[in-house]
Amino acid sequence: MSDNSTQQGVAGHGAFFQDTNLSANEAEAATAWVRSHVDRRTMDLGERMDDIRDHMWELEKEGEIIVHRLTDQHKPVEVDTLYGWKKRIPTNQFWHHKSCGQCGNIPGYPTSILWFMNKFGMDYLDETDQTSCTAWNYHGSGIGNVESLAAVFLRNFHQAYVSGKQHGFENGHFYPLVHCGTSFGNYKEIRKYLIESAELREKVKKILGKLGRLVDGKIVIPEEVVHYSEWLHVMRNRIASELQVMDMSNIRVTVHAACHYYKMVQEDAVYDNTVLGGNRTAVGTSVAQALGAQVIDYSTWYDCCGFGFRHIISEREFTRSFTMNRKIKVAREEANADVMVGIDTGCITTMDKNQWIGKAHDMNYSIPIVADVQLAALACGADPFKIVQLQWHASPCEDLVEKMGISWDKAKADFQDYLKQVEQGNVEYLYNPELATNQNINMKAGA
Amino acid sequence: MATYAEMREMFDEIRADFRYDHELNGCLNCGICTATCPSAQFYDYSPREIVQLLWTENVEQIYDAMQEKIWACAQCMTCAARCPFKNSPGGLVMIMREVSIRHGMQSAKDVLRPFGRVMLKLITTGNQLSPDMIQPDHFPDWGPNIQKVEGDLRILRKAIPVRTLQTVETAWEVSLKTSVEMYTIWEMTGVLKSLETMDENLFDVIEDFIDEKREDYEDWLESQNDKD
Repeated sequence: MSDNSTQQGVAGHGAFFQDTNLSANEAEAATAWVRSHVDRRTMDLGERMDDIRDHMWELEKEGEIIVHRLTDQHKPVEVDTLYGWKKRIPTNQFWHHKSCGQCGNIPGYPTSILWFMNKFGMDYLDETDQTSCTAWNYHGSGIGNVESLAAVFLRNFHQAYVSGKQHGFENGHFYPLVHCGTSFGNYKEIRKYLIESAELREKVKKILGKLGRLVDGKIVIPEEVVHYSEWLHVMRNRIASELQVMDMSNIRVTVHAACHYYKMVQEDAVYDNTVLGGNRTAVGTSVAQALGAQVIDYSTWYDCCGFGFRHIISEREFTRSFTMNRKIKVAREEANADVMVGIDTGCITTMDKNQWIGKAHDMNYSIPIVADVQLAALACGADPFKIVQLQWHASPCEDLVEKMGISWDKAKADFQDYLKQVEQGNVEYLYNPELATNQNINMKAGA
Repeated sequence: MATYAEMREMFDEIRADFRYDHELNGCLNCGICTATCPSAQFYDYSPREIVQLLWTENVEQIYDAMQEKIWACAQCMTCAARCPFKNSPGGLVMIMREVSIRHGMQSAKDVLRPFGRVMLKLITTGNQLSPDMIQPDHFPDWGPNIQKVEGDLRILRKAIPVRTLQTVETAWEVSLKTSVEMYTIWEMTGVLKSLETMDENLFDVIEDFIDEKREDYEDWLESQNDKD
């Protein structure tokens, strides 16, 4: 550090910051405990921490809430979370809780999920009676509050619960599958607050009551808040053994796990001893591993992507500088990766869209950015345009597709022909479109 | 500039939030939060400083931090995941942001002005982001290759094989009933009031829009009754 910068202080450290002048070895020794804390699971905290689900069951027993339970019909699969606690992941009868960022910007995300579910013959419901979780706005602007977030959570999850009855089944037939990492983190945090705070429950009950969104006068809370990448994680071996058609062994993959997946309500994130030694969250990485790709570790795996909620809209210098310096450059220079795989909306958008601008500073790094489910769909022969919808990505996804042995140009030409069909009104669907807005169960038309 | 009493009032409001005791448990100034913070690399912002100011009840400096620093936080919550005390500096920042909005701080108004378009979309439709918001013209820094197939946005959206996604003005089709339910949530939780404090013009536009949609919904309900 120069004398000049020492005098002025360093951003974030205040004007009195002084360099320690430690040697590289001394600095490493001084911070070893930090690395061990970050890289390893901290089991000790697990022993001291309450499992919020225990309190949830108590509230249900006391008649205070209704728990949207996972039943045998949902065919749940048990996985381990950070502290070795068990979490059950459903594999059937889903109510798709879509992501505004995915649907608006990366539609190949939800289409790939539905494509897989069709392949496995899983039932699901995709309907118009749902809103964004509103947490992107909240974290970005501060307009909103715990009550509004809780009311939105309970409204959406009430609809998921009663949608079964609306279609001739029991309440609870369809189980909510949350597509977005921001929603996932937010909903888990809010569920925790709702279970802990009787005052909050009382406040939101008045709102939900006014909306007609109570069941027997009670709010409905899900047994588990489930992220789509957890579903993909438990399906990974079936995907690889039953559906995979492409050899992935020459594909070098780096993974960026979303902060709001595993840094918020950490105790609920899924870990697996067979994935990176159980030191990192398993989702995302486990799928690449099951597909036989080369998973490459990299030094800045723990960093966020630079999305920042507000920053990607109005402080873009921060967003693009951070993602370029801490993610794109590292994935290229250090890992020589063919693709960076993400598991969330904001991360994919940030890393995908902020590469070209690096040229302004002679940072000529680029790497394809896709979601885990998009990579898996490509490996299973899904159309790169019709299903994986790579036409919406700014990063060089064509390089990845070509390396996998798929002709980008041919797929693109086929898609452009298909667009002419679409103009004529000949549109292909993953489920019967007439039933979508009538809020009925999908009928698998196939694409 | 606020008086000491006003600053104290704001601090008391921060402290009264029921999350406060979750998010602040102690601090040894270890700085692991700042070392890992993405914003600390680019702004004059330190999660450690935020925690220390609150922990030591430094009312004037807290007010000062609420002018600008709290808006630097990227909300990744890396600080919270790493803190040995299980503090959540990012969570504390959210409480401080809420309080700054409730008090109509000018700094909050300035920071949030570019966020108006997102707010309008979210409050009126229940969807935060839509395809028509992310067109190349709006993001020249995303480069010329922002989409790999040129064409009319409506046709490109129609080529998504999911009925609810074939939209342009919302990320997915949100039913009118759903949006109307959202308006009730915004009203009953004070969100519309916050919006009015922050941006009166935007609030007026949103209020008109909500009135119109509610009328549409009432008309639709009446038409259903007539059918019966």
